[in-house]
Amino acid sequence: MEGFLHAQGLIILLVLVATLVAIVVRRIRFPYTVSLVLVGLFLSVQRPLDVEVTPELILAIFVPPLIFEAAFHLDFSLLRENLTPILVLAVPGVALTTLIVGGIVAAGTGMDLGAASVFGALIAATDPVAVIALFRALGVSRRLAVALEGESLFNDGTAIVLFRIALAAALSGYFSPVEGLFDFTEVALGGIAIGTALGWLTAQLIARLEDRLVVTTLTTLLAYGAYLSAEQLHVSGVLAVVMAGLVCGNVGLAGASPTTKIMLFNLWEYLAFLANSLVFLLIGLTVDLAQLATNLGPIGVAVAAVLISRVVVVYGLSWLAHAGRSRPHIPLRWRHVLFWGGLRGAISLALALSLPAVLPERETLQAMAFGVMLFTLLGQGTTIHFLLRKLGLISLPQHRLAREKRLGRLFAAQAGLRRLERLHREGLLTDEMWAGLRDDYHQARQRLIEEMNRLFREHAELEREMLIQARREALQAERGALGDALRRGLISTVVYEELTEEVDRRLEALEMIQAALHGERAGELERDGA
Amino acid sequence: MERRPIVCATRGGEASRRTQERAIALAKERGADLIFLYVVDPTFAGPVSDTLAAAMEDELKRLGRSLLSIAQARAQERGVRARTVVRAGPVWETIKAYLNEAGAETLVLGAPGDKVDEAADVGDVGRLAEEVRRDTGVEVVVV
Repeated sequence: MEGFLHAQGLIILLVLVATLVAIVVRRIRFPYTVSLVLVGLFLSVQRPLDVEVTPELILAIFVPPLIFEAAFHLDFSLLRENLTPILVLAVPGVALTTLIVGGIVAAGTGMDLGAASVFGALIAATDPVAVIALFRALGVSRRLAVALEGESLFNDGTAIVLFRIALAAALSGYFSPVEGLFDFTEVALGGIAIGTALGWLTAQLIARLEDRLVVTTLTTLLAYGAYLSAEQLHVSGVLAVVMAGLVCGNVGLAGASPTTKIMLFNLWEYLAFLANSLVFLLIGLTVDLAQLATNLGPIGVAVAAVLISRVVVVYGLSWLAHAGRSRPHIPLRWRHVLFWGGLRGAISLALALSLPAVLPERETLQAMAFGVMLFTLLGQGTTIHFLLRKLGLISLPQHRLAREKRLGRLFAAQAGLRRLERLHREGLLTDEMWAGLRDDYHQARQRLIEEMNRLFREHAELEREMLIQARREALQAERGALGDALRRGLISTVVYEELTEEVDRRLEALEMIQAALHGERAGELERDGA
Repeated sequence: MERRPIVCATRGGEASRRTQERAIALAKERGADLIFLYVVDPTFAGPVSDTLAAAMEDELKRLGRSLLSIAQARAQERGVRARTVVRAGPVWETIKAYLNEAGAETLVLGAPGDKVDEAADVGDVGRLAEEVRRDTGVEVVVV
């Protein structure tokens, strides 16, 4: 009982820290996941928490929701458009990374090639969550985000499979490339088959069920069930979750009602946020700075090896992926982002922690893994913003920023005016003071409205976007009002559900209209990138 | 003799303000009535359920009505008599049918700006404008 209470207290403490970090970073505009690592590091130095991070905790508890959410949201049509480069980067790319990193680390540190290859595999999986969050905030092309996210989803699976093969070889001292290839194919295909089958089955159930709570529970069962059943059968659990999420998100959602879709998206967004927050906080808490300090040489070699391998894989393999095509799958500017956006995170942490004690170089390998993770998160994660700006990939042109700024000021001015009106009503402002302040606010508001009109004259599409945005706000208010009506007993649950579903359908329609309009702006950037 | 109306087909994209301004100027110059036309074609979304397709069509119509009423107010400010029409259907066929129905003298339209337009097959404006001219005998001004 005491152990349970201790664990519960610890989880609450970690979630509290993550929440505080989230509140602060929203104000200082610093990458959330990077901030969590820094806070974790700070906490571990100041007052080490009694946290035992096991690989099972990361892989079986945190990784399924993270991967399932990403796969669930991934648009299959966009994935299909980029499938060739994604698979090239995620399968031969991971194998090549393992070989290059293994080779450089062995040569640079004098480590046994078997152990160096284990490191090569464990560090091969990319985790671009910090970069993807930035993409969303900055309005970077969805296709570029899908390329980076798709690569990460599939390379997580392939890296784990390769890691297990490399580890077995390092421990036994025996490695047969043919057997290795056979094992890899069997484990990867097995995971893909299980995930696809479970995902399809769940999608069929979702299409037949109307109860959104049951549907939501089913997806939770799917995410963890796919992982556990695949691992039980000794095939790739991660690839099973990827396929389950992809199939369920793209096939299952087609048959779900708009209200169920909104509920599912909200739930998975929350679960992924929670898992992500805890994983990155735990990365910071787990890093042993003293261990890093004594292994600075091998860490330097490891960082160089990871960067070199990323150059070879991103520029070399993606060139091969579109050889013979008139238009490249991945424009050159995107490849720069794929190179610098190849951060390392949850999977590398879990695999580094799972290294068995019998492996002689375990401590060094772990220090190298943590060193690389910190370098990519703190170095690359905090500078990718500048790279995106330099490459002109941020699709928020000046006139859009100008509209947002004016809108923000108008919104703030309205709030200020309301506050003054209230002070006047309460007798805290004299009539003269109120009149003077009110006129000042009215003039400022008029100026802003004129500026907005000028912007709309020069960029007519902004006016259309504003109308769509206003309609969405109105629909959300309608939805809230229906909830109030239900609580006050004005309408029954049946009527409430029918009417909210109608509002949700309209919100979905607006989203599709807006996505179609946004698609053109992203398309322009993609064409430029090519 | 009263001039036949000028029809301005607009969708609220990048070129729409220029297109509307041009149509207003033309109507004022000729003393003609101006009709702002918005054609809804929700096929850009691909195959979706009937209920979602209906919601999209309805939302696009609402958007069209709002955009056209803004354009109408601008025309009226400039002393031009203007009305608004929202129709649903394949863009070019609907425009042609409406030009005949209204007995229009001139069609003013802008170049396409977004995926909604592209999917609605209004990509090659020059070629399609020529087709409208040929099929309806109406003068076409592309802005």
